[in-house]
Amino acid sequence: MWRFFAGRGAQYLLVIVLTVMLNFALPRMMPGSPLVFLAGEDVGFLSPEQRHQLYALYGLDQPQWRQFLTYAANLARGQLGYSFQRGRPIAHMIGERLPYTLLLVGTALILATLAGALLGALAAWRRGSALDLGSLGVVMLFESVPSFWLAMIFIAVFAAGLGWFPVFGAGTAGVALAGWPLLVDRARHIALPLATLTIITIPGIYLIMRYSMLAVLGELYIATARAKGVSERAVLRRHAVRNALLPVATVFMLNLGFIVSGATIVETVFSYPGIGRLLYEAVLNRDYPVIQGTFFIITVSVIAANILCDLLYPLIDPRVRQR
Amino acid sequence: MAAPPAQQRGPRRRPALGPVGWAGVVLLVILTGAAVLAPLISPYDPEETVADPFQPPSRSHLLGTNDVGQDILSELIHGARISLTIGFLAASIAISIGTAVGVAAGFLGGWVEIVLMRAVDLVLVIPFLPLMILLAAYLGPSYWNIIIVIGILVWARPARVIRSQVLSVKCLDYIEAALALGSRPARVMMRHVLPAVLPLSLAQFILAASNSILIEAALSFLGLGDPTAKSWGSVLYYAQARSAFLSGAWVWWVLPPGLLITAATLGFAFIGYSLEEVLNPKMRHGGGAC
Repeated sequence: MWRFFAGRGAQYLLVIVLTVMLNFALPRMMPGSPLVFLAGEDVGFLSPEQRHQLYALYGLDQPQWRQFLTYAANLARGQLGYSFQRGRPIAHMIGERLPYTLLLVGTALILATLAGALLGALAAWRRGSALDLGSLGVVMLFESVPSFWLAMIFIAVFAAGLGWFPVFGAGTAGVALAGWPLLVDRARHIALPLATLTIITIPGIYLIMRYSMLAVLGELYIATARAKGVSERAVLRRHAVRNALLPVATVFMLNLGFIVSGATIVETVFSYPGIGRLLYEAVLNRDYPVIQGTFFIITVSVIAANILCDLLYPLIDPRVRQR
Repeated sequence: MAAPPAQQRGPRRRPALGPVGWAGVVLLVILTGAAVLAPLISPYDPEETVADPFQPPSRSHLLGTNDVGQDILSELIHGARISLTIGFLAASIAISIGTAVGVAAGFLGGWVEIVLMRAVDLVLVIPFLPLMILLAAYLGPSYWNIIIVIGILVWARPARVIRSQVLSVKCLDYIEAALALGSRPARVMMRHVLPAVLPLSLAQFILAASNSILIEAALSFLGLGDPTAKSWGSVLYYAQARSAFLSGAWVWWVLPPGLLITAATLGFAFIGYSLEEVLNPKMRHGGGAC
């Protein structure tokens, strides 16, 4: 088991190192001066002396390996640099946005896992029934629908058309709310982004649950349970679903990158002030340090979630503990 | 469709595509037909201003006009060309890498396999859209950049599936016989193993195309696509930029391009899943490694 964790740890470390290297290399690989990507396009107006000073400030006059070490050391201390659009520390900008994304992604994951696993288990249990084929069809449709388009349709119908929900943002601006009304206001704002993200997350979980459940239902211990007179309902709940859930936990991890990608798009369409929207705004403003910082934090968060899943997995699957 | 590799156990059978697969074929034939015949069947030149901007649908403009007075129906018919071509080319790159990696890892084994499969896991962990946004932001929006970026990020899943197929092909009698007769491993890999996994590669290619179309649409929608090429995603980008979804215009400006993207993705996915179910040893009983 410890070897397993060591292997996984090395892999995650490699992902982070590669991310850092990519972030370091991109501005320096591009044609033209790396200053344009590090300090903003205004550097074209500077005098040669000023440019030289900036070069020294960003350490660009030093050897590459030294620049890289400085860069990595700064990252390790949580210094992501400054936005050249706003002149603010990027770490603060991300810190403000991260809770919104965590709320959105976390809630969507819980809802989608519940719905996907339940529907997948029922579909496999009643294989070939109208429920199975119907849900399979709907799920394939969900998988093929572009998330940003679904978001636009939701806005057009439920926000702009019927007026049930606000069109954008995470809260009503300029109104001081507290307590219950604040909660309701926040809930009304998150409802549509949450619905979109949940819908596009369901297919991955549904498909693996259905597949894994079909495999489990063919196992001998299910036949044994039935033979000794356990009721169908108890077979399903106590013997089948519990075992079928294990692969879902694994897919859950593989899906994190996908869900975070989905959140980036959904936040963009709904102008929801999460980290994905920050990435999009940075792209619009060509604010390269913010693009890099955001990408770095997103990757680190996904890795952190993976590590958490790895640590929790032995709790739900006792067999892993004995390996 | 090509015949499946001869199986050790059970009788040979040709893959039956099934109704779902055929539904996918029909969808794609219609869309590809529209793409090929675009200059003949589209009523206007999609690049020309042919009427007042923001017109609702009428006899002369069935889906109305956009913010600069171009005919939306013509944009969508021509958009099929861009969207399908990008999906096709990106999937070709992805599947070439995926097949090469899968065959090499599965057949050669040893440290080659360990290194390659670690690389696959690595690509699967990274949040792909933020990475694409990062790359697209630096490389600049262009037709080929989009294709290359999608291609080099979609190969991981096909590589994994193809490797597991190679593992089960590797222990078939004729491969062992070829090796026992003294054929060089490289030759066996190219002459015997590769042809045996090509049908599954085709299924994976189709699934990758489905994926690529969806990703291209997302990138174009975010304004990171080729600004000179009109794909379905970029039509939606302009609809979003002009807030079409806040007015009644969403019915003819937002709804149709999204339905087309869904239809193309679904068409490829239907065929891909049907083929995969027929060809993938893991999805059938009695398959798997020896």
